[in-house]
Amino acid sequence: MTARQTVSTIRRRVASSPPLLVWLLVLAAAVAILLPFRGLLEESHVALLLLLVTLGGSAAAGRTVGWSLAVMSFLALNWFFLPPFHTFVVADPLDWLVLVVFLITSAVAAQLLYVAQEEARVARARAAEVDRLRIVGAEALNAGRAEDALATVARVIREVARADRCDVLPSAARTPPAGSGSAGTALDDGTEPDDELARWVVESGNAAMERSGGFVHLTAARPAQSDLESLASGDVLALLLPLSVRERVVGVLRLRASEGLRLDAERWRFVDALSYYAALGVERVRLVAAEEHAEALRETDRLKDALLASVSHDLRTPLTTIKARAHELRVHGDERAEVIEQEADRLNRFVANLLDLSRLNARVLPVTLELNAVDELVELVVQRVEGALSGRPLLVRLAPDGELLFGRFDLAHSVRIVVNLVENSHKYSPPTTPIEIAAGRTAEGVVVEVADRGTGLDEDEVERVFEPFYRGPGAPQREGTGLGLSIAKRLAEAQGGALRYAPRPGGGSVFALTLPAVPSSGAMPSF
Amino acid sequence: MIMRTILIVDDEPRIRLVVRGALHEDDTRILEAATGHDAITRAQAERPDLVILDLGLPDMTGLAVCERLRDTTGAPILVLSARHSEDEKALLLDHGADDYVTKPFSTVELQARVRALLRRASGLVAPDGDARIVADELEIDLTSHAVSIGGSRVHLTPIEWQLLRTLATNAGRTLTHRQLFAAAWPGRTYGDAQHYLRVHMTHLRRKIEREPARPRHVVTELGVGYRFVP
Repeated sequence: MTARQTVSTIRRRVASSPPLLVWLLVLAAAVAILLPFRGLLEESHVALLLLLVTLGGSAAAGRTVGWSLAVMSFLALNWFFLPPFHTFVVADPLDWLVLVVFLITSAVAAQLLYVAQEEARVARARAAEVDRLRIVGAEALNAGRAEDALATVARVIREVARADRCDVLPSAARTPPAGSGSAGTALDDGTEPDDELARWVVESGNAAMERSGGFVHLTAARPAQSDLESLASGDVLALLLPLSVRERVVGVLRLRASEGLRLDAERWRFVDALSYYAALGVERVRLVAAEEHAEALRETDRLKDALLASVSHDLRTPLTTIKARAHELRVHGDERAEVIEQEADRLNRFVANLLDLSRLNARVLPVTLELNAVDELVELVVQRVEGALSGRPLLVRLAPDGELLFGRFDLAHSVRIVVNLVENSHKYSPPTTPIEIAAGRTAEGVVVEVADRGTGLDEDEVERVFEPFYRGPGAPQREGTGLGLSIAKRLAEAQGGALRYAPRPGGGSVFALTLPAVPSSGAMPSF
Repeated sequence: MIMRTILIVDDEPRIRLVVRGALHEDDTRILEAATGHDAITRAQAERPDLVILDLGLPDMTGLAVCERLRDTTGAPILVLSARHSEDEKALLLDHGADDYVTKPFSTVELQARVRALLRRASGLVAPDGDARIVADELEIDLTSHAVSIGGSRVHLTPIEWQLLRTLATNAGRTLTHRQLFAAAWPGRTYGDAQHYLRVHMTHLRRKIEREPARPRHVVTELGVGYRFVP
């Protein structure tokens, strides 16, 4: 064995031995070196040199080693260097002062060094945490697919928590419908979507833990102080945290370690912070999927609308031909042709209704809200319905006291609504009774009411009368599409108005169309 | 007997057939065109007395055909439109078309509109200069600006008078909001002036109609304007 090998062996042994032992050896060496010269040295010189060793030990090996060295130096100083030697007796009272000051100085110095080092360590850890969060944030934001971002966050959390597995489970209620994306995809090596505990966490919004003894349901979204202690001690096998975005639980974060989780306060704090990224990731997956779903729906609506527009346009030409031919036949004395004409009109209305319903559904029906006179609305309604009422009395009352009523509404849509109401009244009330149209004003706006003396609606019908394809029990078989009132209600609402039913005192129905009013003064021209 | 020439412009042969059937008279010569370009060429060559123009031709927009026709002929233009082209209808009336019918139309309605347009074009209707217009109990004196219902005087504001005069001197014809606005407020920008027009029309009709919900003299044409019924 060469000298170099010996040195390196010693170095290895020293390096691998407990630091306290090493530093005690250093202290012993220092004492051994100083001992021959104790006649020449003052005790304060010795004390300074021993203090140096103590500080060196503190700096290199920490507070415990520092304090131990302080005590040992104190004893060595007393034993070897303060007369009488080789006793702990101190002859000169001033030497006591040296000893006590030495002990205090070395202990305080060790403590200060420790504090400074600890602060530096925490600062470095913080910097690393911030750096890590920055990376997670950047990766999560940069990931092309929302699912990838979520997987990245889950991986980082797993590493930080030193867990075996980290699952991010989107809550079922938030999972978009199947086929519109893979937001429900389990992360890492799969999840059991029917996890009882995870469901509980979603429903309650509280965290939960799994110990070897069983499940623990916590009473808050994050573990309390006492729970954090068990998290650090390693007897928690799984931790489930609710993930919330704007106070809605969007999913569950589940950490698992078969040997038990070891989350000390710092790691826990970091996991807690990262869990917000997981929540945002889940929300992003959901939003992306919802957007894809909505886009698919919009596309379907566009197709449907284009199809209906094309169909209705294509139907109009043959309808015009049929109607004109039927009219010619009727002029030449064939009474049966009248039915053909009426049916052509009905088919035309049906196609128009379907087109409007599809546009309402797709929210692409143009609505032009502008100042309009209620007089004109009522006039246009009378224009359109009077012929079809075949002489049945239609009573019209414009305003109780001759007041001019103006509103902000779409004239064409409003005319259709009221025409529809009158046609319904015509259909569902005895043909000899009059139908009444009355205009007026309420606190809500301008109102056009259509009243009849039919049987009215029973309670069940009131609920259903505005649903698409609902037809009253008394509906003549060959007439109507069941679309009229549902479209009318939607058209009223699209203008910021309302369509309501009320039973009529004395029997019958009153349907009231309310539209936003414009005060008469606001309606008057400025020039 | 004076022969009249009517040009039917429609890309649908069946519609042309229906219109031809409705307008067939001994004194009427009927021409057909299937495209906008064809229509303009035939209008230049044949000088029709009336053009019936369908919207939605394959080669040109209704507006373009209308403007080109106006450049070459003074004949009235009757527009055939579908229910969902109301805005386009008003636009065409503002750019030279004279009237419109909406598909599916009845033969009677088409015949009535054609008759009214031809009568006006041939100068049988009282022109501007005529001093008095009488429609049932309504009397309008264009010289003295006096209006009366059943003999009793009605007081109109200057704007109401302008509106009534413009409508009455174009009796039977639908005037667009824009045309009426230009008549009542000369030199003003149209903008959203439909609103003002509606307010004044409502006031006017409360004064001259016995039953404003069933007007006898001035009727509303939804989405287009107003028409005076002679």
